Amino acid sequence: MERRKFLGFGLGVAAISLAPVSAVAKNYRKELPKVWTIKNPDKENDLSGVNEAIKAIFGSDKTENSGVKLKAPDIAENGAVVPVSFSLEKASKVALFQTSNPECTVAIWDIPEAGIPEYGVRIKMKKTGTVVVVAEVDGKLYRADKVVKVTAGGCGG
Amino acid sequence: MRIKAKAKDGVVTVKAMMKHEMLSYDIAKKKGKEANFIVYINGKVDGKDVYEASTSQFLSKNPYIKFKFKGEAGKELELSWVDLKGNTKSKKAKIK
Repeated sequence: MERRKFLGFGLGVAAISLAPVSAVAKNYRKELPKVWTIKNPDKENDLSGVNEAIKAIFGSDKTENSGVKLKAPDIAENGAVVPVSFSLEKASKVALFQTSNPECTVAIWDIPEAGIPEYGVRIKMKKTGTVVVVAEVDGKLYRADKVVKVTAGGCGG
Repeated sequence: MRIKAKAKDGVVTVKAMMKHEMLSYDIAKKKGKEANFIVYINGKVDGKDVYEASTSQFLSKNPYIKFKFKGEAGKELELSWVDLKGNTKSKKAKIK
């Protein structure tokens, strides 16, 4: 019985350790596990959680409010599907945050050599909040903020 | 997974939709299920990365992504994802 358990465990570990090599090049879930658990404070539009996450990802929260074009609706009628997109001339890493959900971080992109940082994604927003995009370009950080008013919650029932 | 990849003047624009419930911890709790969502999305052409995203529970259900990269028509784009529970899916699409 003991031996059986041990074998099962060994197989599980092998499966887990194989997966990153084949499918995962730079997975920030594994590299920066803490970033995904940083919480938004329970106050509307309090950006302190977002700023903490920026520091955890980029190593600094010194940002310039320029260079990033961020597109998000002024008013989202359905918080379950909020289209957000951004564009820059170039960047090596981009991260997306919001203050509408329990945790701040939505996604982190590593821009490959062939990549053009004009990305779009649809996100959930539980309530009115601020969407923040931060991009790293030649060692400098650029940032854009936008308030999105959510008229129906993003819980999706 | 549905993928549309179109090339124009050396730039490929990709629109893709993945089928996934994207159960956040909040929603999963309400539904009495376990949280599970896509955590990593990767796009490759000729074995080279053209798109790489680490994602969270806050992407919408059946996530839709749009991205661009330098490339040409005729090649094949392979898009794959991994979720929190380790399920993976990948699909190839010809760049038009």
